[in-house]
Amino acid sequence: MSGTSNLLNWILWMPILGVLGILVIPKAKAGVVRLWSLANTFITLGLTVKLWMGFDNALSGMQDAFTIKMPWIKQFHINYHLAVDGISMPMIILTSLLFFLCVLCSWKISKQVRGYYALLLFLQSAVYGVFLSMDFFLFYVYWEVMLIPMFFLIGIWGGENREYAAVKFFLYTFFGSILMLVGMIALYHATGGEADSFSLLALREHADKFIGMNVSLFGFDVPFDKLFFVFMFIGFAIKVPVFPFHTWLPHAHVQAPTAISVILAGVLLKMGTYGFLRIAFPIFPGATVYFSECIAVLGLINIIYGAFCAMAQTDVKKLIAYSSVSHMGFVMLGMAAMTSQGLNGAVLQMFNHGTSTAMMFLLIGILYERSHHRWIVRPDGSKGFGGLYTQLPVYSIVFIIAMFASMGLPGLSGFISEALIFLGIYSKYTTMTVIALLGLLIGAAYLLWMFKRMFFGEVVEECKSYEDMNAREIFYMTPLCVAVIVFGIWPSPILNIMKGSVNSLVVLLAKYQ
Amino acid sequence: MDYTISTIAWIVLFPFFAFVINAFLARKATKIAVIISCGAIALSSVWALRIFKDFIFGNYASDFYIRKVFTWFDLNGAGLSFNVNMGIYIDNMTAIMLLMVTVVATLIHIFSTYYMKDDMNYGRDGRFFVYMSLFTSAMLGLVLSDNLLSVFIFWELMGFCSYSLIGHYYEKDGAGNANIKAFMTTRVGDVFFLLGILAIWTNIGSVGFVEMYAAIADGVFTDPANNVFGISLAAFAGMSIFMGTIGKSAQFPLQVWLPDAMYGPTPCSALIHAATMVAAGVYLSLRIFPLLDVAGLTPLVAWIGGITAFGAATIALVQTDFKAVLAYSTISQLGYMVLGVGVGSYNAAFMHLITHAIFKACLFLSAGSVIHSLHDHHTHEHVQEMPRMGGLRHKMKFTWFAMWCCTLAIAGIPFFSGFVSKDRILGDALIQALHNKVYIVPAILGFAGALLTAFYMCRMMFLTFHGEPRDKELYEHIPEEKFSWNRNLPLLILAVFTLGVWFSGSLTGQKLVKVASPEGKLEWFSTLVVKPDVNKFKTYTSEKWGNTDTRVKGIEKSHYDPKHGMTNEEEIHHVHQVHVIGAIASIFIAFAGVFIAYMMYIRKSWNPGWWVSTFSGWYRALQNKYYMDDLYIKGVIQKGLLPLNRFLAWIDMGLYDRYIVDGWAGVSKVFYTFSKWFDDLWVDTVMVDGTGASVRLFNVVLRTLQSGKIQFYFIMIIVVLAGYILAL
Repeated sequence: MSGTSNLLNWILWMPILGVLGILVIPKAKAGVVRLWSLANTFITLGLTVKLWMGFDNALSGMQDAFTIKMPWIKQFHINYHLAVDGISMPMIILTSLLFFLCVLCSWKISKQVRGYYALLLFLQSAVYGVFLSMDFFLFYVYWEVMLIPMFFLIGIWGGENREYAAVKFFLYTFFGSILMLVGMIALYHATGGEADSFSLLALREHADKFIGMNVSLFGFDVPFDKLFFVFMFIGFAIKVPVFPFHTWLPHAHVQAPTAISVILAGVLLKMGTYGFLRIAFPIFPGATVYFSECIAVLGLINIIYGAFCAMAQTDVKKLIAYSSVSHMGFVMLGMAAMTSQGLNGAVLQMFNHGTSTAMMFLLIGILYERSHHRWIVRPDGSKGFGGLYTQLPVYSIVFIIAMFASMGLPGLSGFISEALIFLGIYSKYTTMTVIALLGLLIGAAYLLWMFKRMFFGEVVEECKSYEDMNAREIFYMTPLCVAVIVFGIWPSPILNIMKGSVNSLVVLLAKYQ
Repeated sequence: MDYTISTIAWIVLFPFFAFVINAFLARKATKIAVIISCGAIALSSVWALRIFKDFIFGNYASDFYIRKVFTWFDLNGAGLSFNVNMGIYIDNMTAIMLLMVTVVATLIHIFSTYYMKDDMNYGRDGRFFVYMSLFTSAMLGLVLSDNLLSVFIFWELMGFCSYSLIGHYYEKDGAGNANIKAFMTTRVGDVFFLLGILAIWTNIGSVGFVEMYAAIADGVFTDPANNVFGISLAAFAGMSIFMGTIGKSAQFPLQVWLPDAMYGPTPCSALIHAATMVAAGVYLSLRIFPLLDVAGLTPLVAWIGGITAFGAATIALVQTDFKAVLAYSTISQLGYMVLGVGVGSYNAAFMHLITHAIFKACLFLSAGSVIHSLHDHHTHEHVQEMPRMGGLRHKMKFTWFAMWCCTLAIAGIPFFSGFVSKDRILGDALIQALHNKVYIVPAILGFAGALLTAFYMCRMMFLTFHGEPRDKELYEHIPEEKFSWNRNLPLLILAVFTLGVWFSGSLTGQKLVKVASPEGKLEWFSTLVVKPDVNKFKTYTSEKWGNTDTRVKGIEKSHYDPKHGMTNEEEIHHVHQVHVIGAIASIFIAFAGVFIAYMMYIRKSWNPGWWVSTFSGWYRALQNKYYMDDLYIKGVIQKGLLPLNRFLAWIDMGLYDRYIVDGWAGVSKVFYTFSKWFDDLWVDTVMVDGTGASVRLFNVVLRTLQSGKIQFYFIMIIVVLAGYILAL
């Protein structure tokens, strides 16, 4: 079963090598730690490019050439099973790119540099683990392991209220994980604890069996697949985050340091939607179809409610956090459509939102380094920023690109994914499409309004000391600018990777409709 | 001529590459950037001229078109397939539009080198030209589009450029307010436009114009099985897309953004907010005309056009800002075009689009020429207020001349272009009104608006150029206008094309345009621009890019029918008569407007103040733009949207998160307090510590006994032994 290439192992463990390296670097050599981390993430990025080059777009299942499968805990048939397909590949690319940029954007961190970078790289490895694992147990391990570095990164390097946010983040996600754990164990027993009981790929084969089963819960007979679909759904929905499980996100974003916000919004939220596509949808296709309308409604609420809440925010980072809630709603909506356009649009939106929202958070971080506050309007009603356009011309241009990419301007990446999602959803839920389009309107409104208040007008006195972006900042913004523009004009490189795998999922789900 | 990538795509790509290059160059090498921008658009106009020449003089049937498609991206895989195609579609309308856009844009670029010179010298970079290049590129892309999706893409890009250029003076708060208003208002329309695209795409599997026409012919749009929300697909999609036009072309009720858009530099007002972008909405509604027609939406379109044409004209009456008058006249004229679409006056609406683009571009450039010279030495700003002008004709003769040509054109004076096009629209409106009661109001509004147009335009001219200078100090500082290539030449070239002969039959009839026409000399517009006949598109097969040009004249015979599809001689005669009556009426009306303005502002026999004091309520309403801005901003946004947002945000964080989510912490606190109490008291104190206590009790006893003192042990031994002995 194993392929010929060890590339996935290298990608997964390379950051851990980085961590080990950091541990032997003396504490005083902060500069070496930074360069080492940079080199490490750069190598991982290179390996990812190599993976991309070797990726066979024609395959709609797993890329056999890269699959690695060996027994881990034999008694329970748990395997160390890594593989990549069209759904995870865009996420791998996104992860590699964003972590590389995050090392650069954390350059100014001076508090416990070694610990910070070690945890960052540790987190990177865990994220790869989630996207690459094809064994449920392994997936679950990485899903949990990822919480540890996140907890400390927010809890130690965060803002004033960091402990609260870190604990909230941890507990909330952990609550979801427990439901997922129950689901996992239930699946293991439902398949009879046989050879492939933890294999995510093999579990799909049992999908029909799960549909007929019942499980006794507090004395009631409950359909097995629907019950555990809901369990899994909540587990992943917390991560996305889907309304009403979204309130940890604004806290976590506001308190997290810039790089962690970028990772959180750029990659970690996508793990939720990835979980749907990898686990909940293919293993419980019947329940997925049964609940599709609920998923669509929840996505719709995310879009509209998130956008409305975003518009009321006076903290710019909180505003972008709520915009993530709104944009992830589009992903949910696209997935609920279960058409080729909708699902491809959803996966593309996962990627595009990763790049555009990462840009927004990076830019806010750049501004924060100068201003040490993030108020659009201060609590006392005075202007937090003003006239940044005059003061920071280069920054403003990059901000405009990020902002318009985020609101889905044609020619920038967000448009194609949103258009595909709408096209996918229209044929099924016309009314919802009409309401969701309102989200586009509000989405433009809160971003432009924020931009107007921060960038137009006379330069506020305290902004006069701000310096424009330096070379390092321009350097790490450039790849994302290029990405949102290039994939806006020419989306095929990403679409070609995913469309085979996504379409096969569509075909699978279509059987149950 | 071969229609390949090199002959077509370069029209769009020249300005696009200029944009890409200038995006990097503009900050440092502003002069080179300006040259690149101007050069690129000039090259585009050469390419456009080639296409124009081929189409207009090429002796093709009037509904001949070329269409080429390529696949932008696809979602093929695992047995499913879905292609997103892009392509170009060129017919006579496209060819005329391309030439108009490129030439007008070129002239405006040239004028901008004059107007924006100071701006750039004051340390602002050349970003104006960056956005202008992107804008022209997007506009040309829109014109060449063969499908609604690509129209939408370029449409939004133009909206972005418009946003950026309105916000050009970003150090002013007003710029930020104006551009957000423009972008958001048009986006309201755009969202509906997207909805229309989705509806069409889902139902016919394509958004190409050609496929859409074919589907209309096949009855897909009117099939009750495809109804959306209880109305026919045609009505749903048509209305949705027409909402895009309402937003972009500033039609009632979304017209509020256009006057504010004048915050940008005047050349961008000329190009974007007068000549081209706002006309793109009308262009779109012409492209979807068969859809509007089959949906029965044309009366609605006519009403909206009529209301806009008249309403905006009334607001223009009371404006004192030079550019504001022009802005409202733009809205009003766009209303005429939409009215033309509504009354089925297809080629007149399009002709008015072209003639308006030319004279309105010229008007705005002239306004720029005036404003740029009027420099207030106290505030260091340009003066736009007409009460401070007057008598300017002595200082700037060329501008005065060009502006009068345009004023006469827009007023609809015979022999000028505006007369040719507007008269046809009004004539057709009259015919429709006589046949169908629905059209009576739009027709009346159209004629009434024409009177107002002639009046307010002449009022503007008299107030600025004629009479005595009202602000002497300002007047003294105005430099004498000397002929310069980048200030006056564009104006004069445009002024030449405000003459009616270019558009009517008298000069450029049959001799120039070789289309067989049975009726002798005809306007080339009527001959060349025809309503698409949807039935002819049924057998269409698309051509892929890269194929050698096959030049299949898919549609052989000229479709032009001077009899408007009528066979009854009497009826034709009747139509002709109505047209003549309409023409006479509109000539009379135009002169009446000019005359009233003359009596009020030159002869001063009639006092405008009387009108103001007599109709003071109306006057205030007009000054407040019928309170529509207040309704939207103070009402909908400030009273509705923002409080709603704040309420929801409070619900989210103040209520839901704080009490429900964090409330779980409270619930667990109750549990753990109980557990702690139980644990502390019962488990720990009573049981665990109880065990311990019992041990301690033992311990105390034992410790007392086991004191380690040898004497004590000795006594104990004696006591124990004594006990034994006693016991025994």
